[in-house]
Amino acid sequence: MKAAAFGYHAPEGAAEAVSLLAGLGEDAKPIAGGQSLVPMLALRLAMPEHLVDLRRADDLRGVERRNGDLWIGAMTSQAAIEGSAAVARDVPLLARATPLIGHFQIRNRGTLGGSLSHGDAAAEYPAVALALGARFEVLSPRGRRTVAAADFFTGVYETDLAEDEILTGAAFPVRRDRSGFAVEEFARRRGDFAIAGAAVAVELDPGGRVARCGIGLFGLGSTPLRAAADTFDALGARPWAERAHRELRASGETRRSVAFGIDQLTPQELQVARLVAQGLSNREIGERLFLSPRTIGSHLYRIYPKAGVGSRTELATVIVGSDPD
Amino acid sequence: MSAVRAAAARYAGTRVPRVEDARLLTGHGTFVDDVVRPGMVHACFVRSPLARARITGIDATAALELDGVHAVFLADDLNPGVHEQWYTLIGRDVPDTPRPPLARDEVRFVGDPVAMVVADDRYLAEDAAELVEVDYEPLPPVVDYVTARESDDLVHEGYPRNVAGELAARPAEELAPIFDAAAHVVEATIYQQAYAQVPMETRGLVAEWSAATGELTLWAATQSPHEVRLFCSRLLGVDEHRVRVVMRDTGGGFGQKVAPQREDMCVMLAAPKVPGPLKWIEDRRENLLAAGKSRHEHADARIAFDSEGKILAASIDYVQDVGAYPTPWPVGTAAAVGMFFPGPYRVPDATFTSTCVFSNTSGRTAYRGPWQFESVTREVLLDAAARRMGVDPAELRRRNLIRREDLPYTNPNGMPYDDISPMETFEQALKILDYGAFRREQERARAEGRYLGVGTCTYVEPTTAAMALHATEGATIRIEPSGKVNVYVSGGSSGNSIETTVVQLTADALGVDIADVSTVQGDTAVTPFGGGAAGSRSGSMTAGAVAETASVLRERITAIAAHRLEAAAEDIELAGGRASVRGVPSAGVTLAEIANLAYFEPASLPPGVPAGLEASGRYSPEHPIIWANATHVSTCEVDPRAGRVTLLRHIVSEDCGPMINPSVVEGQIAGGTVQGIGGVLYEHLAYDADGNPVTTTLMDYLLPTAAEVPGIEYGHVETPGPGPGGYKGAGEGGAIGAPPAVINAVADALAPFGVEITRLPLTPEAIVALVREARREVAP
Repeated sequence: MKAAAFGYHAPEGAAEAVSLLAGLGEDAKPIAGGQSLVPMLALRLAMPEHLVDLRRADDLRGVERRNGDLWIGAMTSQAAIEGSAAVARDVPLLARATPLIGHFQIRNRGTLGGSLSHGDAAAEYPAVALALGARFEVLSPRGRRTVAAADFFTGVYETDLAEDEILTGAAFPVRRDRSGFAVEEFARRRGDFAIAGAAVAVELDPGGRVARCGIGLFGLGSTPLRAAADTFDALGARPWAERAHRELRASGETRRSVAFGIDQLTPQELQVARLVAQGLSNREIGERLFLSPRTIGSHLYRIYPKAGVGSRTELATVIVGSDPD
Repeated sequence: MSAVRAAAARYAGTRVPRVEDARLLTGHGTFVDDVVRPGMVHACFVRSPLARARITGIDATAALELDGVHAVFLADDLNPGVHEQWYTLIGRDVPDTPRPPLARDEVRFVGDPVAMVVADDRYLAEDAAELVEVDYEPLPPVVDYVTARESDDLVHEGYPRNVAGELAARPAEELAPIFDAAAHVVEATIYQQAYAQVPMETRGLVAEWSAATGELTLWAATQSPHEVRLFCSRLLGVDEHRVRVVMRDTGGGFGQKVAPQREDMCVMLAAPKVPGPLKWIEDRRENLLAAGKSRHEHADARIAFDSEGKILAASIDYVQDVGAYPTPWPVGTAAAVGMFFPGPYRVPDATFTSTCVFSNTSGRTAYRGPWQFESVTREVLLDAAARRMGVDPAELRRRNLIRREDLPYTNPNGMPYDDISPMETFEQALKILDYGAFRREQERARAEGRYLGVGTCTYVEPTTAAMALHATEGATIRIEPSGKVNVYVSGGSSGNSIETTVVQLTADALGVDIADVSTVQGDTAVTPFGGGAAGSRSGSMTAGAVAETASVLRERITAIAAHRLEAAAEDIELAGGRASVRGVPSAGVTLAEIANLAYFEPASLPPGVPAGLEASGRYSPEHPIIWANATHVSTCEVDPRAGRVTLLRHIVSEDCGPMINPSVVEGQIAGGTVQGIGGVLYEHLAYDADGNPVTTTLMDYLLPTAAEVPGIEYGHVETPGPGPGGYKGAGEGGAIGAPPAVINAVADALAPFGVEITRLPLTPEAIVALVREARREVAP
């Protein structure tokens, strides 16, 4: 469990980071708190040629009011969010969800941006961002853009970020009067990724009716927001249900499947996976496909989560089990 | 000897802070990976990715071309170097199962070591390991031990039906009339999943060969440095005194480190062939892949009762998975499950069979309470019986538990119990819970749709089994000229506080301040021969060794003091590092003064008293086994929809005789209990149908943490055992008693659904499935 060799870069700011990433191309990977990437490196599931460490990019860190929202820098640690009076006051749902992330050692290093960019379907922050309708700031050498949380998470461990883009921060709407928040999760052990979890933000209008209801479900396989809307239907809470359906449409959510499986793989990923299943090493696969072993490694890094596996042998099982012949 | 009065116990029985704590709690322990030697090189194993395959070729050319790579060893390089390969603990003459250092023609589990790469550092070694090309011709693996006996494929040639060994007591037919005539018979097939020791420190070894002297020094993560030395000397054909094994701290062993395994053999065999000291540190993935597994077993068990609920007979047909390369030989220990199955109950008749079955999975290794399944099966069956008969499970046990007046009591399999108190621990534990109050609370909760449960387990456990490697234990005590005391024992502590224990006992035995006693352990060059930490033996055996040795020195000190103070020896008392005349506290002489006389003025010693204050002694117990017992009580709430189990209380009432240090005893109980809880609810060393391990990281292999475990409550009953101080073993019991109590608590909580639990682990999915299944059965 020792990482393969890689080049290490620690730029001083976001602009330098994205220009480095652009220059290094697809063989480079940004690293934030490293709570997911470092184990992948140690297991050699990820073998990037270069790591661009964002820890010295101070402009990616901080919690402050911007344009009426609470802006939180991508490199702000989960521990800093947990201890922030501003977060507790302005974005209570985020404050409540944070202690559910891993253990305090993990939160000391783990970051907001790292968690959002990783896009784990069972993680707390993506669900919270969805529930609150947060907006994400994205930077590349091509410029800056903003993405709604609802448009950011595009698939299993996949986000709207392009190869040369990094997340620089997220803007969370500041809570208003007559709003309420809750987050609950069911995990095997405290600190584990949730088997199932829900983050809910409800805002009432002066008449006491639901003005906005945002629901983020995590760890659940399919149609998260839709299921919540059904729940309201079932409860006969019509105004809530209508609101939920509206939210659903507004957020662009459809019956998006987040099922794991090899049908999630691109044709080239499937080709790599098949060769892994035949027992070939990264080097052998690289020779066959005229790619470097490193590139095969980085393919595997994307393949494992998509296929819902954690090792070559597991991948082989899935592949063998799926082939009709 | 008669002149020497027993010292007043000032430290034994008290919560003396651990002498190990200062270094361990500040991160200054010395584990094997902390050992750094000049010129050291590093090993990494190439392991099989397939459960079973023929090796058709290995090409290490690319690996050897990498800068900084010294060697790639294959089976033909290392295996022929084996002179003899057997464990002192088990003996030379058992029909031991195969155990080659590296796989030669066939790989037999995922993780099977095929080659060992040696390089300048571990990173390079892993780079090179990826470059070793092994050609495999896959063979159909024998994954499921349950069906392995019917398989046409064999894990090892020469073991038909994949059976590694079988033992049996009397024929079951002899008991048939009892079962046929019994008012009640409960029977079930109970299955326990594989789980593992998961020591915080993985395995590891540093081997330094000195060609000039022909000596090998090993720094090991081990529970038994002397066994490592004996094993290594036989393996290499090197005289014992040319092998030195050193260990300071071992970060948990739990059985995994009682004996060197195949990778250790490779490091020992390769040490003379590499340019510097050779270090191998197992990583966590390897540990979960190849360091061995435990549990994984099932049994068809039956208990017959009369109409009053009294047990008439018990029988168990037990089958365990031993994987591909069990370490050590498993067959004898497997039979213990049968022999102890009657447990702490009056069982007039019993029999058993036990069968060890190979599979193409990681080999079985020793684990804290290796026969734990006897308690799992018996206690789960007893609760099922109570439900069937409509008797409270506590009441059913009261009717059957061995009482003090029954002792000594030989169980029907010939186990001669004595000095135990199962009824007392049972009643004490239920009292701590307030069993009646819990049942009322459970009733109220059920009315509200909440499901609470309580489960118990009472067991009797053999500790300090004095056989073979474990037959004796030695101690050397040296009182320095300054009056300070050094105690040398074999050690092998993997977290069991044996340093504290030895210091406490020695301070008491010599009447000195505990701060003046230090202990040296774990280095075979300077410590007396000893068996190490295993079988719940360290405390009681070392107490014997210290007592034996200290009595010689007490006698000598007393004689010198009596001579010096012109008093009779029987009037001398030792306390506070001083010998004084009883009743005349002012007339005394310090231990330092006595030591000065003993070392530097031998002419002034009384006639017949040898010079110096150094002695060695060896304890050889008269009793082959010291029996201990305990009761665990667990309560929980189960959410039947999500399958969530929330443990509420866990109570352990234990009788390990008088406690040398209650904190240490409770620490041992807690550690074992948490492992037991983990085994029921979280831990599962799982394989898929093709023999691929699916839990090779701690993200997949779930260990319980402090957040999952309730505060453990302790009760103590003290029935002295037959050995010195009356001490009994306490190291393993927690891991035996906790699982049945937790299983029974969950089963009790789910009793309203008509659920019976016969398969482990109790994951949320398993619980939801059980409840659904039970509802389906009830519905039509």
